[in-house]
Amino acid sequence: MRFEDFTVLLAALAFVWPFLGAVGVCLAPTERSRDVALWMAGLGCALAVAVFVFLATGGVSAGWEDDPVQRAGRVMLALGLWVTVLEHGIFRERLLRSVPHVSTALAGLGCVASEAAIGLGILFLALAWGVFVFMRPAGQALAGWQIGRTGAVGLLLALAGLTLPAHGLTTGLVLACGLVIMTGLTPFCAPAREGQGALLLVPFSGAALLLAMRLRAYGGVGFDMALVAAGLVSVWTTACLPATARTAEDRARVFRVFPVALALMAVGVGADVAALLLLCGWCVAGGSRVGQGWAARALACFPPGAPFVGCLLMLSVLVDWSWELALLAVAGVLLGIARAWPDASARTVFGTGEQTMGFRDLWPEDRAGRLAFVTLAGMGFLVPLAMMLGAF
Amino acid sequence: MTLAAVLAALLALGVVARGMGFLPVLGLVDAVAMLASGTPPLTQSGAGVALLLGIAPGLVLSRYQADATPEGQQAALPSFLALALMVLLLLAGSRVQGGQFPAGLCIVAAGLVSVACRRGMVWQWAGLLTCAQGVLLSAVMAGQVMAFGAGALGGLVVLVLGALCAQRVLPRRARALKGEKRRNEV
Repeated sequence: MRFEDFTVLLAALAFVWPFLGAVGVCLAPTERSRDVALWMAGLGCALAVAVFVFLATGGVSAGWEDDPVQRAGRVMLALGLWVTVLEHGIFRERLLRSVPHVSTALAGLGCVASEAAIGLGILFLALAWGVFVFMRPAGQALAGWQIGRTGAVGLLLALAGLTLPAHGLTTGLVLACGLVIMTGLTPFCAPAREGQGALLLVPFSGAALLLAMRLRAYGGVGFDMALVAAGLVSVWTTACLPATARTAEDRARVFRVFPVALALMAVGVGADVAALLLLCGWCVAGGSRVGQGWAARALACFPPGAPFVGCLLMLSVLVDWSWELALLAVAGVLLGIARAWPDASARTVFGTGEQTMGFRDLWPEDRAGRLAFVTLAGMGFLVPLAMMLGAF
Repeated sequence: MTLAAVLAALLALGVVARGMGFLPVLGLVDAVAMLASGTPPLTQSGAGVALLLGIAPGLVLSRYQADATPEGQQAALPSFLALALMVLLLLAGSRVQGGQFPAGLCIVAAGLVSVACRRGMVWQWAGLLTCAQGVLLSAVMAGQVMAFGAGALGGLVVLVLGALCAQRVLPRRARALKGEKRRNEV
């Protein structure tokens, strides 16, 4: 087998693997299902990394070669799946076990589809499967309907934008509105339910971000402006929400979509690598991990970590775009960080209290948290390094 | 621009104001609008899907009692909001796209208002189906096969999910229950 054939085979296997994982976890006995899921998700990660490193080239690879940022984005989606599987216990229901695998697989496929409309169609399938599974338990029909309704509105709006002529102002606005609703940005959508909903929403929002990068060429100036405006509104809403979030957990929940807002701004200004780093933060620290201190700090762009580096990169590009908007964004992010700062450490920083931030606040106690923390710190270092070496 | 396209946009407002009752008529007019504009294979399939999306929900809901979720006091507000959105889109569309009336986009906007402003599940389902009809009309008028395929798939997904949710949420009609009992006895 020639090397070109091997790379194409690798790329095809990386797309099929999560589906095999879904079948595997459904067929495995309940007690062993988590181990099977962990192995499949881990191997899926390795495959995604291999596809990123060994680019499919040559004649047989027509249709398989794509943007390095998109390939790296699929690595982030695979990492998110691994962390999700690691942090959850054993799901008793067979179909529920398959949801993160199926949604990650379809999200990856949707991003690589030759046309964006096909990608949106594939995301419809992911939404349908997730919502169908969420609706099945007694008393959960309306909760599932709420998730499906929001996702379907976003997808239909984005599709409506694709049917309009390219580069038009209306086209850009409608496309951006659809993608913003797909990502579930806070002031524009009802806050997403945590728990099982995150199994679908994390890869779904990630795919929406990756699709937004591809749709920038179609949307034109109106698209960029709308994305930056939506991201800025979301950052400021997160930073200035009324003081209803008294407890640390509530505060953490507010920061759930903070990296997505910054990532949409990064897509709007054309800083794809920054969007990639923020996507890493969303996939690895987002979802149902927001209640934990380390995840909240990572989402709020505290150093060290990929979102922090992504935020700096995005702001550096935004300054060239418009310094007034950059000033507003910096103020919003700083205000957000001030709100996310834990009370105990705040007292310590300002030198008025006795309490100190414990080691437990920085280094997570569970295995999933440790993997996520190491991934975030590693990506925050590796992605800029790869960018400097010319990989992106 | 055809008269049917304009009429479809107005009927979409009817869905915002009155709910599921306008959906079959909207589907019919949408199908006529598609047949009047575009190229044959796409228009025929588009008309078929539009009719299915318009008629099937009514058939499903005929087996269940009406959705009794109370709506807010500002029942007239969504219609005005939808009208304002449509006028804005019409103005933006006429400036950018050289006078072409974005009927599909107006229908999508009306459906969106229905989804956002109504609390009842059935009303929101009607709004989502209206959105899908608008996307289909827009795709057929623009002659975009891929967008049409994705829109049709999306419409069918919404149709099935809504029917599943209605089956779980709404109580059965007495007549449907009686029919079932009779069938069991036979």
